[in-house]
Amino acid sequence: MPIAFVHEVLRQGFRNLGMASGTRNLDGDFLLDNDRIVKLDIGYILGLEMLGIPLYARTLVQNKLKTGELKISEWTNGTMAWRHKAAAMGLPFLPVRSLAGTDSFKYSAAKQIECPFTGIKVVLVPAIFCDTCCIHVHRADKYGNCQIDGMLNEDYDKARSAKNLIITTEKIVDTKEIRKDGSKTVIPQFYVDAVVEVPNGAYPTNMPGLYYLDLDHLKAYAKAAGDRSGESLKKYYNDYVFGTKDFKEFMKKCGGKKRIEELRKIEHMEGRK
Amino acid sequence: MSKLKYNHIEFMASIASRYLEDGKVVFAGTGIPMLAAALAKRIHSPNLVLIFEAGGVAPEASMLPLSVADSRTTYHATYCASMPAAFEMLQQGIASYAFLGGAQIDKYGNLNSTLIGDDYYHPKTRLPGSGGANEAASFAWQTFIIMNHNRNRFVEKPYYITTPGYLDGPGGRERAGLAPDAGPYMVFTELCVLDFEPLSKRMRLKSLLPGVTVEKVIQETGFELLFHENITTEKEPTEEELRVLREEVDPWRVVLSRGDAKEE
Repeated sequence: MPIAFVHEVLRQGFRNLGMASGTRNLDGDFLLDNDRIVKLDIGYILGLEMLGIPLYARTLVQNKLKTGELKISEWTNGTMAWRHKAAAMGLPFLPVRSLAGTDSFKYSAAKQIECPFTGIKVVLVPAIFCDTCCIHVHRADKYGNCQIDGMLNEDYDKARSAKNLIITTEKIVDTKEIRKDGSKTVIPQFYVDAVVEVPNGAYPTNMPGLYYLDLDHLKAYAKAAGDRSGESLKKYYNDYVFGTKDFKEFMKKCGGKKRIEELRKIEHMEGRK
Repeated sequence: MSKLKYNHIEFMASIASRYLEDGKVVFAGTGIPMLAAALAKRIHSPNLVLIFEAGGVAPEASMLPLSVADSRTTYHATYCASMPAAFEMLQQGIASYAFLGGAQIDKYGNLNSTLIGDDYYHPKTRLPGSGGANEAASFAWQTFIIMNHNRNRFVEKPYYITTPGYLDGPGGRERAGLAPDAGPYMVFTELCVLDFEPLSKRMRLKSLLPGVTVEKVIQETGFELLFHENITTEKEPTEEELRVLREEVDPWRVVLSRGDAKEE
């Protein structure tokens, strides 16, 4: 989920949400920090990879697991990717060969059968159809034809499996631009319900080719997220989300164009090999 | 002992990197696994092919990616795929090595990265979970594991099995429906290097880090270990390994600095 989208979900007060994904880190933690999630189908949560552990959100999740207010269905990054893929293929499930033999299999909704052709055991993962999916892309036209530079991560199948698809884009371009190289189009228009132009909408995370993640900002967030009391997080969200009226104002607060230009240089490793 | 100063993360990454053979395909997780793979590629395995789970394949050696979806995983990459594509390639058997961490491990190399505590619904500590580790260890031919060595981590019975090792022993993977002839290969810790005895599939002490005794390893291991006939001692990091790690791979010391606090 683009950070700009998550900010707006927080501002507009959406709660009691389910979240389905492989790895979610900053975006997912934002929703967990603010107690907006009641249901998870997930491969990786409550981690900021190398930056630390979001202790406040972790305590919240542990407490809600105990009371039953939060339900977790255990998956892995691969099985979640294939659940989206099954949906994107118009199929009810896909057979895969991971998850087998583990506790995560028991705490998932997967089933295991013998392959009717070969007799080998396969794990079946059910298709998942999210109500809403939001993806940030490099460029889109007004109809929703989207082009993404670099790796696709889970975008291709998530876009195709959601009931409603919102696109945030660095830039809305003329369809002529899209037509120059249709092979770069990852999401065709008929999947898309809305296109919103949000420059730098992935900040402070990484937009391949455009700007690197803002390590200073992420470290400051990770530090706040590691404060069990929640006080530091309250300040973070008041400063950056609830105290700003929109993403533009947030960007201004974070150094705006100047900061993005610095992150562009880091992205392209200018001055470094 | 050499006069070089280094911390245990630098040491573990250096040792692990030496076991990554040139020309192999490796799927590396964030943190020390990526450090080790990046170091190997720069020092002795220039043709090591790295696959990252968000779809990056064979990027040029650059600064350490801070996440598996970092654009550095596709820096001048030969192929930018997607997450399902990455795992599908692994499922076909493309990856020689997976390289992972974990919170707990047992004698068969099964990993827990989901929770600490006896009751799933009342965890003492909820951890992030599998990420792509389950796929990596299910599909790669050989899995390298790196983790800290103590009795809370090297346990008889993990609280939860997130990622399969040899499961309940010889034949366990095949019975569960995982691809045969694959599994955990080596474990790197701040004390020693371990592998798995081929018949029993049980963890076996292979070599020690300088200054560490067999007794110390036994003391920090919560299950019965097997032992190689000749237990060797690993060489300390070289000046070149440390230079590459510090100047080229992780100049911001995002991962390396985590080893600083523990040093005297």
